[in-house]
Amino acid sequence: MRKLVIVVLVILSSIELVSGQGLGSPGTIKDDGRFAASTKQVNQFFRRFNAEESVDGNQRYYPEDEFYRNRELRGKFISILFDNETSGISSDLKTTFMREVLSETLPQYINFHREGWFSEVEATFNYRGKIEKATLFLKLQPEGLGYEWVIDKVVFPPFKDIFKKPEGSNKSFLHPLSHELGFMNLRKAFQETNLPESFTTTDFQPDYLTLFLYEMKRGNLKFDNIRDVKFHFFQINNWYFELNQFNRPGFNTGWLISNLVKLKPGDKESILRYIYDQK
Amino acid sequence: MKKYISLFLLVFLAAASVSVAQSDNISPARKQAIDSLALEKVKDLSKYISIIGSKETQFSEANRVMDRAEELFAPGAEMGVSSINRKEIAYYKVRRYFERLMALNYDRVNITWYDIQYISDLERQPDGRFVGVITIYQRFEGTSIESGMNYRDTTKKDITIYVEKKQTQIAGRTIEFWDVMLGDIRVTETSA
Repeated sequence: MRKLVIVVLVILSSIELVSGQGLGSPGTIKDDGRFAASTKQVNQFFRRFNAEESVDGNQRYYPEDEFYRNRELRGKFISILFDNETSGISSDLKTTFMREVLSETLPQYINFHREGWFSEVEATFNYRGKIEKATLFLKLQPEGLGYEWVIDKVVFPPFKDIFKKPEGSNKSFLHPLSHELGFMNLRKAFQETNLPESFTTTDFQPDYLTLFLYEMKRGNLKFDNIRDVKFHFFQINNWYFELNQFNRPGFNTGWLISNLVKLKPGDKESILRYIYDQK
Repeated sequence: MKKYISLFLLVFLAAASVSVAQSDNISPARKQAIDSLALEKVKDLSKYISIIGSKETQFSEANRVMDRAEELFAPGAEMGVSSINRKEIAYYKVRRYFERLMALNYDRVNITWYDIQYISDLERQPDGRFVGVITIYQRFEGTSIESGMNYRDTTKKDITIYVEKKQTQIAGRTIEFWDVMLGDIRVTETSA
């Protein structure tokens, strides 16, 4: 808490020092420090997390700059990058996380272009005349001369019940000598059951993104709106955190860490399954 | 226009001061010059928005200013507006947004800007152009004398900027410079 107060005071005092920042024309409103304190862009989250900008955010630090990735500055920045009002991340967990990230021997940074972070976008679509929620997972990939965000996965509830592969004795099958009859039993298999997925391999997984795009191309699925955007980070060794945007009064606003988990072996896969399946 | 020419020159000089071999990268010095040019365009947009929103502005003048404002944008740019009570985004083409602003039924409209902004890094797109985002905050106050209605809000505006290297001929010589165009703008009402 004391750190938070100090950082907010430093931000406030730095605003006083930087005359003429902002749009600069006469009649501009003086920020009381709340907008300066807010982590206004995901870009600013990266820069603050790594200590790659000045306290007021007006100066971008590069490797040749004195305070670039300065450990003390990073500590102050990271301490204000947590959602302190609703997320309930314990102080002990934050301290352990900060100790590992700020390690003197092996500090860890986040990187915009590196794998290990992705976006979750909650959107609405008009599907066959009804508004339905869809969750899109987007990741950054190199393309052409630069980078682009691409859709990696989709979770769309109306698709979830389409494929229900039966198990055990309830599952229909094509007997092992079907080939001798030129697979003539496919007629029965496809016409007498509405569960054709019964005849797929054990590891069959429906490709929901392909289905989603197919429905869009057929004109059955139309984009409606965006409801929410968040980010998942696995870039710090043995840690997972979630980044959400907080639009509320006060100084603890903008893009902040809303969930922090210390990962044990196997936890990453469990969290990913949870995120993708939205269970 | 004079202002832009001098800024172009500034960007050009900043570009010339670094190695030619890095011509496709943006050095910190060049980035700073590009930021200044981008901010200048954002300032102009702010000025135009205030003029368009003012009831004292004649219809013909507002239309002229809308034309100028539209020239700041890359083709197809949109405004995406949401409020605290309505999270869904309302999408408007830039011209339509200005027209709605002009049609607001207030006798007095006062648009002011906070003395704070944030400029992101520039990232390269697949087509080689660079893209960045400038965040600014605006306060809107509208008063209707007849109904006594007073509306006030503070919005965060995240403004896309496209940065592209272009060429021009001056006295028979080809000069390269970096140009900035505004793109989509996300307008979010804040709780401030």
